[in-house]
Amino acid sequence: MTNVPLGRVVATERRPNTPFEFHFWTEVTSPVGIGTIVRVEGTHPVDGAIPSIYGVVTEGFSYSDLDTPMHDVLGHDGSPAHPGFAATERAEIRLYTAAVLRQIPDEPVQPVPMGAVHLAEEEDVAIALRMDSYLRDETRTAIPVGVYRAGGTEAPVYVDADFLVGPEAAHLNITGVSGLATKTSAIEWLLASLFAHFPEDKGSVAAVCFNVKGPDLCYLDLAGPLEESDLALYERLGVPPVPFPDVQYFAPYTARGFALNTLRSNEALLHNVNALTWGLREVLQFAEVLLNRDDVDAKADALIDFIRENIVDQPFEDPLLSRPHKVESFADLDAWFRDLLQGMERKNSEAWRTHHVATIRKVRNRLSNISTRCAGLVTDDGSVSDLPFGSFADRAVYVIDVALLEEDAQDLIFARVVSKLREHLERRDLGVNHVVVFVDELNKYAPSEGPETYVRRMLLDISERGRYLGLVLFGAQQFRSQVHRRVTGNAGTAMFGRTDADELGTPGYSVLSHAVRVKLSALEKGQLLVRHPHFTQPVFVRFPRPPVLSGRAGVERFPQMPEASAEAAVTRSLRVLDPDITLEWVKEHTALYEEREIIRARNATVRARPDNTKAFFLSQFRRVVRAEAPVPRRPTPLRTPSSDDPYSF
Amino acid sequence: MPVTRAALDAPSRAALRAILAVRPEAQAVDYPSLVPERGTADPPLLSAAEQIEAGPMRAVPVMDPVVGFSAFLDGTQNARILAWVEGVPYVFGTAAAAIRARRDRKLRTWETSPPIVQRRLYLPRAYASGFESATEGLDIVDTTAPELGSIPSRHPAALLERALSCLQHDRERLERAQVEAWVAADEGVLCADGSLPDRGPGRSSPRAVGAIKSHRTLHADGVALDVVLALRANERSPVFTVAGSGRAPVASWYVRTRDRAGRDALWGLVRLESAIVPDISARADLVSRWLLAENAPLALPDTRWDKMTYGVRDCESFLRAVS
Repeated sequence: MTNVPLGRVVATERRPNTPFEFHFWTEVTSPVGIGTIVRVEGTHPVDGAIPSIYGVVTEGFSYSDLDTPMHDVLGHDGSPAHPGFAATERAEIRLYTAAVLRQIPDEPVQPVPMGAVHLAEEEDVAIALRMDSYLRDETRTAIPVGVYRAGGTEAPVYVDADFLVGPEAAHLNITGVSGLATKTSAIEWLLASLFAHFPEDKGSVAAVCFNVKGPDLCYLDLAGPLEESDLALYERLGVPPVPFPDVQYFAPYTARGFALNTLRSNEALLHNVNALTWGLREVLQFAEVLLNRDDVDAKADALIDFIRENIVDQPFEDPLLSRPHKVESFADLDAWFRDLLQGMERKNSEAWRTHHVATIRKVRNRLSNISTRCAGLVTDDGSVSDLPFGSFADRAVYVIDVALLEEDAQDLIFARVVSKLREHLERRDLGVNHVVVFVDELNKYAPSEGPETYVRRMLLDISERGRYLGLVLFGAQQFRSQVHRRVTGNAGTAMFGRTDADELGTPGYSVLSHAVRVKLSALEKGQLLVRHPHFTQPVFVRFPRPPVLSGRAGVERFPQMPEASAEAAVTRSLRVLDPDITLEWVKEHTALYEEREIIRARNATVRARPDNTKAFFLSQFRRVVRAEAPVPRRPTPLRTPSSDDPYSF
Repeated sequence: MPVTRAALDAPSRAALRAILAVRPEAQAVDYPSLVPERGTADPPLLSAAEQIEAGPMRAVPVMDPVVGFSAFLDGTQNARILAWVEGVPYVFGTAAAAIRARRDRKLRTWETSPPIVQRRLYLPRAYASGFESATEGLDIVDTTAPELGSIPSRHPAALLERALSCLQHDRERLERAQVEAWVAADEGVLCADGSLPDRGPGRSSPRAVGAIKSHRTLHADGVALDVVLALRANERSPVFTVAGSGRAPVASWYVRTRDRAGRDALWGLVRLESAIVPDISARADLVSRWLLAENAPLALPDTRWDKMTYGVRDCESFLRAVS
């Protein structure tokens, strides 16, 4: 620890020190600024120990010995350029206000005493932020979040894994304006750090990221350019500067069904891009996500429940129906509805099993509509391609690209994926112990105002109960004030990048000093203000660029492929499984089939990932007898009539 | 006598406790007041002086300012009546003096001779029993000691006047000690607030200059007075000598540091004192230029900013903080 003080604590009756705040002055040239951590050494022992107080600078003042600005005007004869030189520089002060981070000893809690102020060094930062409790080797749960830098001091700042992914506290919320490479970059960096430092004894961890806009999360497995300064930070923080080694992408098909609806559609990157498709059963479980309250009254809800329990995936017969049904897809369901309604018309009946014909028609209309609204995600044929629930891998990232989808489809995907994660975590059979769910645009999904939605209820549920299950929400948004308070309030760790001044003017930021808010409004790229349960006050940290290719660079390097013909799309998909497959081969073997049959065969093949791709693909088609040219029959020659018998043949 | 109410500081409280230990019946003053310095009510005086600079009695223009002073000296004193015992005032006085040296355009306390702060109880032992021997925690000055002259009457005002006189002498002694230390160190020229010390090397060395802001006594009369009062900014008077009773004469002259248009006759008028040297005209020119260089920054918000240098004000601020 340096013995050269850089300031002295000062207090007056008008501006006294308290147990939580103190003031000190420094030389004009001192390296102290907003966010600097300092250590005060008391001069008188308390209970036999000289107290040490750690604080973070939250406000700064500068003034001279002038009473009014007018005196300076007089001194320069009204002209700033005159006189150009004064023999003596006027005395001025740098006066700072600091919020107390920690007092040692902790008791008694007393106002900060007068004493010398020192710049905090690395070990001071650890003590000040109470990181010492989770930096011990035997109980280490520290996750590097960045580096604190001030006045020549560079100290790693860690968050506690027990408070980041549970069970003590959990969740992380990050706020920042868009376009300044803060929110997504910070999350990517933090995931890399979490994967590198998550303690072995706490089990396994994976991440599920929803890519809700642009190509931000589409290249997590590709290395991006890092500067020397970034590499130095990685080394300082003990995180390997490499992209995520195990990333799986999931995206529904486009409405035409030929290609996956993702910006990561370049052929060179398709090896780990998987289809995300669901059938009737999967969707019916979350029908209320897509049906609003006006649609689904108690009567409609009862019919949907009846269908879910008694119709789907089991043989169903009824005297009113013309034939037995087994409903496994939306197409089957529509056929069942059609048969039922025709039967009711035949018998001139207004109700069937207590369900009124109007209710039946309404539910048919709404459910049938789902496959149209979520085309590409919801399959008519009931085929399912899903995340590997039950076999999640440790330190793997599962990216679900919903950026190009309609809002309904996004909601459905989010609701079902999170519900499944929760179910599996409750049963402890997901494959990992902890899952980090990253959702951007919380303004949209968990707004503070507006109608109650299924997605918002789900986010609130994760926020409030997820930590007990190992389900952790990493949320991001541009306007924290517009996100539901229970979501932000339950986030144990909060980060703030550069934030709009209007946003900073909202009441939620009033706990920050004016100077901290001003600094936040002009924060550089790569800097964050971090609040964590162990930190009495938020601290500013720097973090390196994430070790992955940025969305913009990725799009330029791996341009999105345009949606091709059915044959070309099939070829592209199958070549991932068998590089020998060519467009000509696909054309030759699919020429006789309709597009939907070709796509269905492709989907089945991609889902099964068979050893013999060609054979499996061909086996999916119905047998078609080749047309053969009829053998021409030779005409039977006419018998020649006897010339002497006019009646003979 | 106007007084200024002020809170009792820690040394004053300690002194009061010591007084009450000896004289429990002492009547502590509820609101101990700062007692103004002596001499503010001295009558204005004109005193003709002997010109020692060759040439007529006329205004002498001063060339462009140039920085020359290396340090500034000031002394302060304040007094409080802590208690009355049988009509006798118990005066607690603080005298202090400090030199602030200029390095890289910044003023710092001169390390060679640290500031001196002296706190004493000024007590007429002839009228105050119980303090005959040394009292722990109190440095007592007997204001009725024989070497100070005749014993004043028991009139409280007379006793107070004597106490303040003793305090002033203490302050002058501290200032003299600081000037002598500076002169011995040979680190440039010191600008002292007020007259040069009444004796010793500080009065005869060219390394010390006195800058007098108060003009209760004007060292000019007749034509000389006309010249002094008519001085314009950046002009000085011819050099004359000033001597006191038993004091060695020093060279002195007036300098108008600021344009007095629209102001009173003494606005911006400073009298400088310097040891008498062979080429006194050149010396007066140079020191005047040094003084003009101190016009900036202004010594505001001090009310005497027209005559006060910023360095002297800095000394006062410093002494207020430490005394």
